Amino acid sequence: MPDYLAQVLQRHPQNAPPWLDAVHREGRRSCLARTLPTPKTESWKYTSLRALEQDNYAGLPTPAQAPLETHYHIDGFDSYTLVFVNGHFSPALSGNALPEGVELVRFSEADEAQARAIQTRLGEVAQREQSIFTALNESGLQDGVYLRVKPNVRLETPIQVVWLTTPQSEAFTVSQRLLLVMESGSEAELLEYFTSDTTQQNSFTNGITELVLGDNARLQHYRLHTEQEQALHIGGVHASLGRDADLNSFHLATGGALKRIDIVVNHAGPGAHCTLQGVYLLRNKQHVDYHTCIEHRVPHCTTDEVFRGIVGGAARAVFNGRIHIHPNAQKTLAQLSNKNLLTSAQAEVDTKPELEIYADDVQCAHGATVAQLDETSLHYLRTRGLAPEQARVMLSFGFINELLNRIADPAVATHLRPLLSDFFGDGNHLAEPPV
Amino acid sequence: MAQESLDHLIRTEYAAGFTTDIESDTLPPGLDEEVVAFISSKKNEPDWLRAWRLEAYRGWRQMTEPAWAQVGYPQIDFDAVSYYSSPKAMADRPQSLDEVDPELLATYEKLGIPLHEQEALAGVAVDAVFDSVSVATTFRHKLAEAGVIFCPISEAVQTHPELVRKYLGSVVPPRDNFYAALNSAVFSDGSFVYIPKGVRCPMELSTYFRINEAKTGQFERTLIIADEGSYVSYLEGCTAPMRDENQLHAAVVELVALDNAQIKYSTVQNWYPGDAEGRGGIYNFVTKRGVAHTNAHISWTQVETGSAVTWKYPSVILRGDNSIGEFYSVALTNNFQQADTGTKMIHIGNNTRSTIISKGISAGRSSNAYRGLVRMSPRSSGSRNYTQCDSLLIGDRCAAHTFPYIESRNPSAVVEHEATTSKVSDDQLYLCQQRGIDTEKAVSMIVNGFCKEVFKELPMEFAVEAGKLLEVSLEGSVG
Repeated sequence: MPDYLAQVLQRHPQNAPPWLDAVHREGRRSCLARTLPTPKTESWKYTSLRALEQDNYAGLPTPAQAPLETHYHIDGFDSYTLVFVNGHFSPALSGNALPEGVELVRFSEADEAQARAIQTRLGEVAQREQSIFTALNESGLQDGVYLRVKPNVRLETPIQVVWLTTPQSEAFTVSQRLLLVMESGSEAELLEYFTSDTTQQNSFTNGITELVLGDNARLQHYRLHTEQEQALHIGGVHASLGRDADLNSFHLATGGALKRIDIVVNHAGPGAHCTLQGVYLLRNKQHVDYHTCIEHRVPHCTTDEVFRGIVGGAARAVFNGRIHIHPNAQKTLAQLSNKNLLTSAQAEVDTKPELEIYADDVQCAHGATVAQLDETSLHYLRTRGLAPEQARVMLSFGFINELLNRIADPAVATHLRPLLSDFFGDGNHLAEPPV
Repeated sequence: MAQESLDHLIRTEYAAGFTTDIESDTLPPGLDEEVVAFISSKKNEPDWLRAWRLEAYRGWRQMTEPAWAQVGYPQIDFDAVSYYSSPKAMADRPQSLDEVDPELLATYEKLGIPLHEQEALAGVAVDAVFDSVSVATTFRHKLAEAGVIFCPISEAVQTHPELVRKYLGSVVPPRDNFYAALNSAVFSDGSFVYIPKGVRCPMELSTYFRINEAKTGQFERTLIIADEGSYVSYLEGCTAPMRDENQLHAAVVELVALDNAQIKYSTVQNWYPGDAEGRGGIYNFVTKRGVAHTNAHISWTQVETGSAVTWKYPSVILRGDNSIGEFYSVALTNNFQQADTGTKMIHIGNNTRSTIISKGISAGRSSNAYRGLVRMSPRSSGSRNYTQCDSLLIGDRCAAHTFPYIESRNPSAVVEHEATTSKVSDDQLYLCQQRGIDTEKAVSMIVNGFCKEVFKELPMEFAVEAGKLLEVSLEGSVG
């Protein structure tokens, strides 16, 4: 069995600006001091990294032919778009005018002052010591996006960053990084789209997003994963919220032989609010693992977290939702709900909502269910003349659609609906459960 | 050679002297194969049981202490623990209460367990364990009439070896976990219950455990077998006197409910929790598990208010179709107490049902964690679980945690989990105070109401005791 970690750390990122050398070194050092998690590691209990050893993913990503735009184009979502293909910026696909009040640079084109700013802030919320995959991301970083929204600027145009993977002759690992700094009082909308163009993927994406929200900043964030089945992804979103900041983050994951997303939200200023929503749809032998961790460090913050999933085929969904209320984080309100539909005898759902509370004047609740469609509702639809299959599709879609309805931007919701109903339409994973 | 070392051990134990007014012979601290063999020979055990103990001991040597629980305590030096102690006059065991050492009886009186009264009033057969050896067992005759076997497990080894051999370790294997392995190697005594086919046990069975010997770990082993179609309700209650030194306790309880049988196991645990500064107290590491066969029903009810550290997960393996598992728990921690407790419901049979109601109350600077597992195996069709975990916080320096693991591999199974955490609300307190109820009383009322769902599962006299216990345990935590 090839030792993935040892091999991937031997390679050196190409075309990276010299100032990133220090970041590479630190990342590599941090990786070398540790080993990859095993099923004995509590937070990796249900997710095996075996997929990572099945191919030699230690190859370097090379600039690739730009594929068609259709994969990620969202009708009516008039955004400023940056497209990366296998980690390399694709100017031909990127475009539109950069909105006012925004500083947006790629790491590779940053001037000295910008490089310094990036260096200072990189890793501020996504700390390499917390996860070996954050360290790994740093060790292989060749480019990234730094986005700063100036104080009190309200962006009218959303920013879209597309991370595309396309097959190469040899399997490879690509580090993708986004650092968003929102100064106080600013408002923005950011959509990250992780996708791939063909079913024959041999990529391992290690995508880390850092969101730093200053006081009173508001961010509408989406992170969509529609990579193909063979694509691997381990990454996460790390956010820090200042006083009265508001983060609304929507997550979607379909497919993937191995997908592990860590979402860490740090309430660092009183009065901050976070809405976290996620949908995962799995079939065949797919594996999706969402680990969320909300750190309430200060008083008067609120969290509203909802994740829903439909799991069929021989797929496995893992959800771990942790809410951690630190001492003194009084008057916290935190809610978490995770509901799963398990539709096949070979599929598995492992869920663990966690509460860790060190303050008394708080109201926290969490709920988790693993079940199937309600028989009464199915019966009702059948009395109205719907075929069993149709009724199943309708109810399953309704289950997910409740979350889509909460998406703030109608263009995104409209884009996602057909995408998801396609998933149900194929009928494969919604077959009658064995009686 | 073995004989020599045994003699040596027997000699040295007297050198260790006596620690209480009641004389007892205590093994010097430390654990090796010879100690295990000594315990076995002291109890005059058959060879298979000695081999079984030694096997467990060897397994234990290879294991490491679990560190995953949300508890922190100084490293336990297992070589500083004495693994055997028994009241001195064991050879001529008293035949009736009159013959029991009056000092021992006086201790029970202090703890509010008057044996005479209990015999008469409560109609409860009491198998009192003082340290490691049972000294008084009552109501044996009445039970014998019904065919129920209720005796110390050391006695059952002699009188019913076939039952003990068949079921001992069948639910909690000797190498199940670190503490279970330790218990299997050195278990001193405990209760053995066998209810024959179709018998409804004529009374509630009860054991009062008590730890008296300083530095003596207690390693009870309880085995309850309910044969087909039988019913038994078993009560376990514990108290321990003030001690400054931490005491280790690692018990194993095994329940076997054969087809159509029902076992109801209730516990009130109020061992010494340590003083207000967090000194002393019992370390309680317990493995409790039951196997429910077809249509069987196992129910665990526990009220945990004592111990400095509690590590306890009474579980049910729902092996047979239509079997039922229940877990009702109130865990209260105060001062510096730490509890990591919960349950495991392993659904294997079809149409199995489990219910988990857990109420955690943290006060002072304590930490209280619920840790549970609900597993629906692929062949467990039509099974259901409902879990509700509520935590109540009293004071701003305590902690409450919930770690429910849910693993579902069957598309016809339904698993529901809900948890909430809140504090005693100011509105509720205000309402009570308006009606002339003082704060402490009001909190106690609210807490009792919070626990009502669990208390109603307890047998009457336990429910009363449990309510009082909460009140006592919460003293000084308000205002």
